[in-house]
Amino acid sequence: MAIIEVKNLVKKYKISEKENGILGYIKHLFHPKYKEQIAVNNISFNIEKGELVGYIGENGAGKSTTIKMLTGLLTPTSGQVVVNGIVPNEKRILNNKQIGAVFGQKTQLWWDLPVIESFKLIKKMYEIPDEDYKNNLKKFTKILDLKDLLDKQVKNLSLGQKMRCEIAATFLHNPKVVYLDEPTIGLDILVKENIRKFIKDINKEQHTTVILTTHDLKDIEEVCDRIILIDKGTIIYDGEKEVFKNKYGKHIIAEFIIQNKNSNITVETIEEEFEIIEENETSIKIKFNHERLTIIDIVKSISKYCEILDMHIQEEGLEEILKEIYRGELIND
Amino acid sequence: MINKILAIAKQNAKEGLYYRFDLLLYIFNFIIEITVYVFIWLAIYNKGNQILGMTFEQVTTYYILVVSLNPIISWGINETMGNAIREGEILRELLNPISYFNYYFGIRIGELIESIIVGIITFIICALLFGVLLPSSLLNFIFFIIVISLSVVVVYFFELIIGTSAFYTNSIWGVEVFKRAILSIFSGMIAPISLFPEFLQKIANTLPFKDCIYTPISIYFGELNNIEIIQVILKQFIWILILYIIAKILFNKAVKSVTVNGG
Ligand SMILES: Nc1ncnc2c1ncn2[C@@H]1O[C@H](COP(=O)(O)OP(=O)(O)OP(=O)(O)O)[C@@H](O)[C@H]1O
Ligand SMILES: [Mg+2]
Repeated sequence: MAIIEVKNLVKKYKISEKENGILGYIKHLFHPKYKEQIAVNNISFNIEKGELVGYIGENGAGKSTTIKMLTGLLTPTSGQVVVNGIVPNEKRILNNKQIGAVFGQKTQLWWDLPVIESFKLIKKMYEIPDEDYKNNLKKFTKILDLKDLLDKQVKNLSLGQKMRCEIAATFLHNPKVVYLDEPTIGLDILVKENIRKFIKDINKEQHTTVILTTHDLKDIEEVCDRIILIDKGTIIYDGEKEVFKNKYGKHIIAEFIIQNKNSNITVETIEEEFEIIEENETSIKIKFNHERLTIIDIVKSISKYCEILDMHIQEEGLEEILKEIYRGELIND
Repeated sequence: MINKILAIAKQNAKEGLYYRFDLLLYIFNFIIEITVYVFIWLAIYNKGNQILGMTFEQVTTYYILVVSLNPIISWGINETMGNAIREGEILRELLNPISYFNYYFGIRIGELIESIIVGIITFIICALLFGVLLPSSLLNFIFFIIVISLSVVVVYFFELIIGTSAFYTNSIWGVEVFKRAILSIFSGMIAPISLFPEFLQKIANTLPFKDCIYTPISIYFGELNNIEIIQVILKQFIWILILYIIAKILFNKAVKSVTVNGG
């Protein structure tokens, strides 16, 4: 049985439409007018225990709204959420005991106290057995490099240090499911890598189910096996990450180092079936569909205009694919 | 559950005691306040007289007790709760593995620990400076403690009701002032309730706030007999129940509006 079951989930926000001025305010008091906004529009999916799911989509696509419904913080307008046999917004406390959640910059750490004090309180609140607490603390301290942070006051930590502690706090009670809503926002590359490794390690050991939203697709590339892509409240892709890349990543990006250019290639090749992303005197970057053209074709066309010294070939990453999807270029079926 | 509440209390008290200097300032303030009262009454009494059946020592003791009990009763969770609601921390708090009421009760007890420390230090210093009357008997002193403890529970639910208003107004400053006004008038903080006009006395007798300051002090002085004291305690339990129910209904309604509207 799936650990998370979501069925025909809908969330409509009511937005009050107030007219300007005091008169409008009074009018609203007696005849409140509401506009409805559909944030999540009839989505369904199942997530199995131990899955690492990347929940992605543009700003305002409905990711946070979905996560809030999964955690029970938001009541669905219609549809069903069941997490490990519990309906979260009906049995919130029971559900809270089995989950962990990170919401962007909101913290569960005590601002004025050393980090370790917050951990101790979490131990008491979640009734974490001594043994588990000790083990986890040791393990987390090692992976997230918390040794020098535990005795510092939370308010004196940097953003990245705080987030590492926050992540540790979230996993301390061995939650069955963890929701991470933009946990890497604003962090530097090393901290991001640190956190990614942590999520992967814990998942491997504890089979923790993790749902992760992020705008940094490196997070997804490195952590997640499965992608759920939501667009304007509707799921437009749900499946394995690799399948997703194969299905939509039909492009290859080739970068050539060149010399002795005899004309502006961009203008000359306007008819061709490839797209020039960047061009200058010493290099040129080309994107092409590998089902239609081969790299040999490209080399042939380019060499008419210049001398090729070197080249790199790169498959299209998630980021490029998503850019195309967001622009409406890829998914029409 | 008690364990968890105490753990939260300890945590909150630790955080509060981190601002030890603030607490010192409070104590200093309270001592000044008492000194002013004492000198005003000293002028009024002009030595030896009795006013409204109270001796100068009684009045002094009354004010020292009032000021020392004040933080215990009136330092509440309103500010913490209001800020948390305004800044959206409420979502975080609703994710705790214990109920909101229990969580905040822990916070309240934490405040209580701080205020007891402040109260006791203030009391001792002022007792040494101005002299106080001791409790009329050990039993009365125990009742004094019991009634105050129950009052903390009463005001806790009152604070929850006030704090819930932060869901609807952007600032809880107005309701906070309202709360303080109600508390200080009807608890006997401003003046002994026996000095009130009759209709105000009636209101004060019905509301539970009198039992926060005025009644325990009367018990301290031995002015209530055991039956009267038991009646007070019963009244407190009834008020706890009433305020709990009101707080629960209002809070659930507010949380529902958050979880429907998305904060
Ligand atoms: N409390 C609210 N009241 C009204 N509308 C809301 C509320 N919260 C979100 N919305 C709207 O619902 C839609 C989905 O918002 P949501 O926060 O779920 O997006 P998101 O995918 O998390 O975006 P982002 O990547 O920017 O975090 C948006 O159009 C947003 O404006
Ligand atoms: Mg979001």
